[in-house]
Amino acid sequence: MNTKKLITCTFVGLLMLGCDNFLSVNPQGELTQEAFPITAADALQSTNGVYATLRNWHYHSGGFPILDFMSDDAHKGSNPNDGAGTQGPYENFTFTPTQDGLDRWWAGLYQGIRRANVVIEKVPAVEMDASLKNRYLGEARFLRGLYYFDLVRAFGGVPLVTSTEPALSIPRASADEIYTLVEQDLQFAIDNLPEKSAYGSTDLGRATRGAARALLAKVHLFRGNFAAAETLALQVITSNQYELEPVFTDANGKNGEHGVESVFEIGAVESESIVGNQYANTQGVRGSPNRGWGFNRPSIDLRNAFEPGDPRRSGTIIELGDVIDGITILGDASTPDVTRDADGNIIEIESYNRKVWIPGLSTDTQFGHNRRLIRFSDVLLMAAEALNENNRPQDALIHLNRVRERARQGNPDILPDITVTNKDELRDIILHERRTELALEGHRFWDLVRTGKAPEVLGPAGFIQGKHELMPIPQNEIDLSQGTLVQNDNW
Amino acid sequence: MEQSAILADRSKPVITGSAWGRKMMWQLPVITLLLCLLLTTTASAQQEVRGTVVEAGTGETLPGVNVRVKDTTRGTTTDSDGRFSIRLDADQTVLVFSYIGFEPLEMDMRGVDDIVIELQPVVTMMDELVVIGYGAVRKRDITGAVSQIRSDDIRKMTSLNADQALQGRVSGVLVTTTSGAPGAGATVRIRGVGTFNNASPIYVVDGVILDDISFLNPADISSMEVLKDASATAIYGSRGANGVILVQTRTGAGFMDGPVVTVSVEGGIQQLERKINLLSGREFAIISNEIRAGSFNNVDAVPNTDWQDLIFDIAPIQNHQVSVAGAGEWSDYYVSLGYFNQSGIIDRSQYERITLKLNNNYRLSQNFKLGNNLTIAPYRQRVAPNVTFAAYRAQPVLLPYYEDGSFGAVVNVGNPLADLANSNNHNSGVRVVGNVFAEAMVANSVLLRTSFGTDAALNRGQSFTPAFTVFNPDGTASQQTNTYSDIFKSEGINYTWLWENTVNYINSFGRHNLNAVGGFTMQQSRSERLQVAGQNVIRDGRDFWYVRPGYVIDEANNINMLSSIFNGVDPGLYYNMISFLGRVVYSYDDTYLTTVTLRRDGSSKFSKDNQWGYFPSFAVGWNIDRESFMDNVSLINDLKLRFSWGMIGNEKISYYDRFSGIDAGLLAVFGNPDAAYVAASYGRSGNPDLKWETTTQTDVGIEMSILDRRLTFEADYYNRVTDDILIELATPGHLGNGTGQRIRYNAASILNRGFEFALTWQDRLGEVGYTVGLIGNTIHNEVLEIGGSSGIDSLLIGGFLANGQPVTLSRVGRPIGAYYGFKTDGIFQNQAELDAYPSMALAGVGDLRFVDMNGDGVINGLDRTYLGSPIPKFVYGFNLDLDYKNWDFSAGFQGQYGNKIFNGKNAVRPDPYNFEAHVWDRWTGEGTSNTEPRPSFGGYNFLPSDRFIHDGSFVRLRTLIIGYSLPGSMLANLGITRARVYIKGNNLLTWTKYTGYTPEIGSFDVLSNGIDSGVYPIPRVITLGFNTTF
Repeated sequence: MNTKKLITCTFVGLLMLGCDNFLSVNPQGELTQEAFPITAADALQSTNGVYATLRNWHYHSGGFPILDFMSDDAHKGSNPNDGAGTQGPYENFTFTPTQDGLDRWWAGLYQGIRRANVVIEKVPAVEMDASLKNRYLGEARFLRGLYYFDLVRAFGGVPLVTSTEPALSIPRASADEIYTLVEQDLQFAIDNLPEKSAYGSTDLGRATRGAARALLAKVHLFRGNFAAAETLALQVITSNQYELEPVFTDANGKNGEHGVESVFEIGAVESESIVGNQYANTQGVRGSPNRGWGFNRPSIDLRNAFEPGDPRRSGTIIELGDVIDGITILGDASTPDVTRDADGNIIEIESYNRKVWIPGLSTDTQFGHNRRLIRFSDVLLMAAEALNENNRPQDALIHLNRVRERARQGNPDILPDITVTNKDELRDIILHERRTELALEGHRFWDLVRTGKAPEVLGPAGFIQGKHELMPIPQNEIDLSQGTLVQNDNW
Repeated sequence: MEQSAILADRSKPVITGSAWGRKMMWQLPVITLLLCLLLTTTASAQQEVRGTVVEAGTGETLPGVNVRVKDTTRGTTTDSDGRFSIRLDADQTVLVFSYIGFEPLEMDMRGVDDIVIELQPVVTMMDELVVIGYGAVRKRDITGAVSQIRSDDIRKMTSLNADQALQGRVSGVLVTTTSGAPGAGATVRIRGVGTFNNASPIYVVDGVILDDISFLNPADISSMEVLKDASATAIYGSRGANGVILVQTRTGAGFMDGPVVTVSVEGGIQQLERKINLLSGREFAIISNEIRAGSFNNVDAVPNTDWQDLIFDIAPIQNHQVSVAGAGEWSDYYVSLGYFNQSGIIDRSQYERITLKLNNNYRLSQNFKLGNNLTIAPYRQRVAPNVTFAAYRAQPVLLPYYEDGSFGAVVNVGNPLADLANSNNHNSGVRVVGNVFAEAMVANSVLLRTSFGTDAALNRGQSFTPAFTVFNPDGTASQQTNTYSDIFKSEGINYTWLWENTVNYINSFGRHNLNAVGGFTMQQSRSERLQVAGQNVIRDGRDFWYVRPGYVIDEANNINMLSSIFNGVDPGLYYNMISFLGRVVYSYDDTYLTTVTLRRDGSSKFSKDNQWGYFPSFAVGWNIDRESFMDNVSLINDLKLRFSWGMIGNEKISYYDRFSGIDAGLLAVFGNPDAAYVAASYGRSGNPDLKWETTTQTDVGIEMSILDRRLTFEADYYNRVTDDILIELATPGHLGNGTGQRIRYNAASILNRGFEFALTWQDRLGEVGYTVGLIGNTIHNEVLEIGGSSGIDSLLIGGFLANGQPVTLSRVGRPIGAYYGFKTDGIFQNQAELDAYPSMALAGVGDLRFVDMNGDGVINGLDRTYLGSPIPKFVYGFNLDLDYKNWDFSAGFQGQYGNKIFNGKNAVRPDPYNFEAHVWDRWTGEGTSNTEPRPSFGGYNFLPSDRFIHDGSFVRLRTLIIGYSLPGSMLANLGITRARVYIKGNNLLTWTKYTGYTPEIGSFDVLSNGIDSGVYPIPRVITLGFNTTF
């Protein structure tokens, strides 16, 4: 039968054509991971992708400056109800493994690590300019080191992921293993990255040799390796890449973006969109002008920590009624101007973090704050600390007093040079200087922990020795690991 | 003269075989011609007789009819179109037509050339032909659970979508309208909810597999069959797990004596069934003063605006069609034109659809046929903003307009009338669905068929919001301000083709009956969407609703421009499939039945290792009434037991889930000044190991008719377990997918089981004929497994309210989408009680007391508990049809029992809104109320709790129709066969305890079922109609 033949042929023909081809459908408008990165342009884009994490809100300790809440520098802020159950518990150390923000922070950092691993794993095979390739790899390893340093500092040993295809369940590596990777990554970055001055003006913000040295110096401080910390910090200082901003507020402000004091900073555009950074919006003045949510309220203790007349106090704290860049700070109607305890003592004053201030009246511009992760004054104080620990107090004083000199702003009546050379006394003075110089920038809590002063200073707030040196592993992660991840002690 | 049968007057009731014919003036030439033809053929000694066998009454063609020359063994059977041809010797001209389920018929064919034979069905449900997918079988042979709905019942609802007609008519089917907005769809759930994904059945319209039938004019449907168990659905393999609804549209086959024209005109009004009882202006002012003293100085002087009255109106609906059906010797046709226009009971909402239906069959030879089924359905839709929710919330103390006629500001909500006035949201498009097919009959028992079907849809959307400002009383701009006009355009095209090739074999060997089908099909689905938004259009008029580069505001760094453009495929509509299918239906002596089905599906949605799935089913049936021991049981006419088991699949997931993507939307910021640079990295990880969801269903059924088939009864017990449900689970952070990223796995199981029954009593009492139908089914829905582990992925949170609060939690041992929240235990009547019980810091005297479920002395999120299920325990329908002389009456009730509704619109209160009237009975001091807490504009008492859980049980008078057919004597002179006028009401009355607009609250998302978020109410519809056939 003719019809029969026709149909049979069609059938057979079709089968020959192959079901396999017909059943493979390519994703539309979307690249898959097998096909990226393969070109030189891909290599650049994937390297840029590692930086994108820095403006991810979650990267910044889960979105809120909880490290400042946990220090003696600040309270939760905003109005009393805002985040009372979610962020409030960080202030008095009543937070739990299910606390809001911990899982975001964890996942945000690992997202950055994954993006770095993409570059580290895939870019070596890309055919491109060899020196540029090394720079990309250096950038990625710098950032991976940065992200792992945040993880290990916060959580201790964590799953060690150096591949783009990790197993679904990985036990925690030891803190030492994580630190070893961080040190290797940063050493690679030191060896392969250019100095800041070698970058053009459009590449400012990329990782530099100076940034890698400064970060590694900080890692060594945490590890108690003061010799290495000293060497690295001094290398940064003598590299002639950095100076202190003449005006203290420029060190974190708009005028000093990618300026002489900036060792590593996160660029952000003044836009409430993916090119902005919500980190500053979270802490921006609440109410009038409406610059943000008003979290991170400077504590009375911090105010009292500044030496008499220290201009850095007003460079750190926005008080109600201040006029900044022509804008009067009125504050928030839903926030009490002062908060008192049961005995009527003032325990909080409505005030805001000056260091994230960006001139303007809208929330949009507030997103443009460039967060400084490492400032030159931090490096100077790290050098001072390491030199003191290495029994070279005279050398330490040079760097310490350099910071104080800038702070003084030419006023000879305040912030006299330090001359103390007793090691223990000087240690405390340097720690105090770090507090007043670097307040509300996320350093204080870790400084207290690594110097062993946290139980003494934060004990009254609820800090428990042997427990709060580390954050708890997010309960989500423990649940998802089905027991592979073991919680930190005492949580 | 034998030919007289052919020309028998059709106005006489036809009892047994007669041919078609009517005495109508304009047909005379045709008849004369026919007579001439007949006379010429009588001359030859041997004649060839051809003809079509149809079912009397319906005109449906009958395939497989035995045609035998009387007193000989010579014979043939009719083909799939009921056509036969046979050569007759001059001395043996009597043919015997026999077909199971029909009265046999003898007729002398002397001198006949081409004839239409009408066989009168033996009135028994057991012999109805039932379409079961890739073929049809007698109901007697069916081993699966299949429910039919007649076309008359489909037309009892004035609705856009024919699936509304299933509501309360077919057991095991739950249809829930999602919204009363014109053009809105309904969710259809067959035998519970079997998956966390798309749980809707598939539709097969004239053989074309589709996801919905919104394009189809219900009047064009001749029958709908719902395939429920595995034996019935397994032939649809990977797509049958949630049930299959087969739709046959009308054809012209059988209308041999010329065109039959049917005209129907229907028009009516729709209105809000009932309002929600809210506080009046005065009551609101009093309550406000209690919450915030001094809010209103004089509560007797405040306005009293009823916002519901302002936004709801009576709206027209019309539904008209004209169809022409006819058949010639070598072809038949059905052409219809339908027009549906529904205005919404809220201004600026409307749906208008034209349907053009063309079904044609061409017989190229005795054994070869070509045909097409085609629907072209252009539509226009206007969508109103959700002002229902705004009217519910708007404070009654505010005036809709200022004295100068401008819109009054409505704090926190926006003036719903201003929203409406500035809404210009239009959709339009066209859907073209159809197929062309060819059939060849080989050796009288093998039917080869190939069919190429398409479903093409073009959808366009345009929305324009002018720049406008609603001013506060003090002259400042309120929040309801649109600084720049907005234009949004979208365009989407979906195109699916389906090529099916089947071989059917039907034959009998003595008492052995065999009905087999084998086939090969290919399908491809493609889509593309484009969306673009602009602002600041230079003029407001419709002539300017286009996006030009200048209209795209570039606020900073072109970023808004980037994010306002989308172009891509619809991830659920982009895949290819290849399938092999086979089914054997075998029966012995019409008593012992068995059906074996196997389908093998390959889908591009899965990676190579997993893309082929096998879906088998097996079923047996026993027609007990055929056994000799039943001969003396005169009470029972038919009795059948059946059992089926099978595995069916579901693959309604995004084609993209298995791929690991690149996130190309990243940006890095470098340089001084800060500037954005493109960045990309690995994005979400896919899961290449994905495979089909598999539903294993077991069904035991009984079918019975007794008392001379006056009472028919059908009951089933079903047990459906869906395994390997494709579900998105949280993944560990160290994978680097970022926070909250979920990845799809085959990792959940769900059980649905229940009884279902359908009972029909049909009889006459004197001149009154009546039919009473009762259907019902129980549903037990239970999650058996999620994630396969403890921890957070062993439950699924969903049902997010507008404030982000989740109110459903699906966990092992509970139904899908079960509500969870705090259990309340009265109200804190005094400080002592507040001190004595665990409570949240926020709670005060007069507030709700939440139960400390875990007994830890603290009230927190861990105390939220199961609060009920949105899935009814029992779904039922009751239908009554009466006819008396020329009058007919029909009533249909539908109901459900045991489900809960979450009144989400009442729970979301970030700002001061109006309250439901029950707030008036508030707690005002110790002992005043233990159910209604002290009033507040939000906060503690509005945390998700059982306070918002309501009984969702209801009974609804869904259809009520009274019709009158004009007497035949009156019509005959006009050449009209039939004319009927009727008045029809849909959704006339609802009995329910629920206080919202409707207890019927559907959601396509199975995790957000039954949550009343302030939806567009389903209107009551009253229409007047007229239809006629000539």
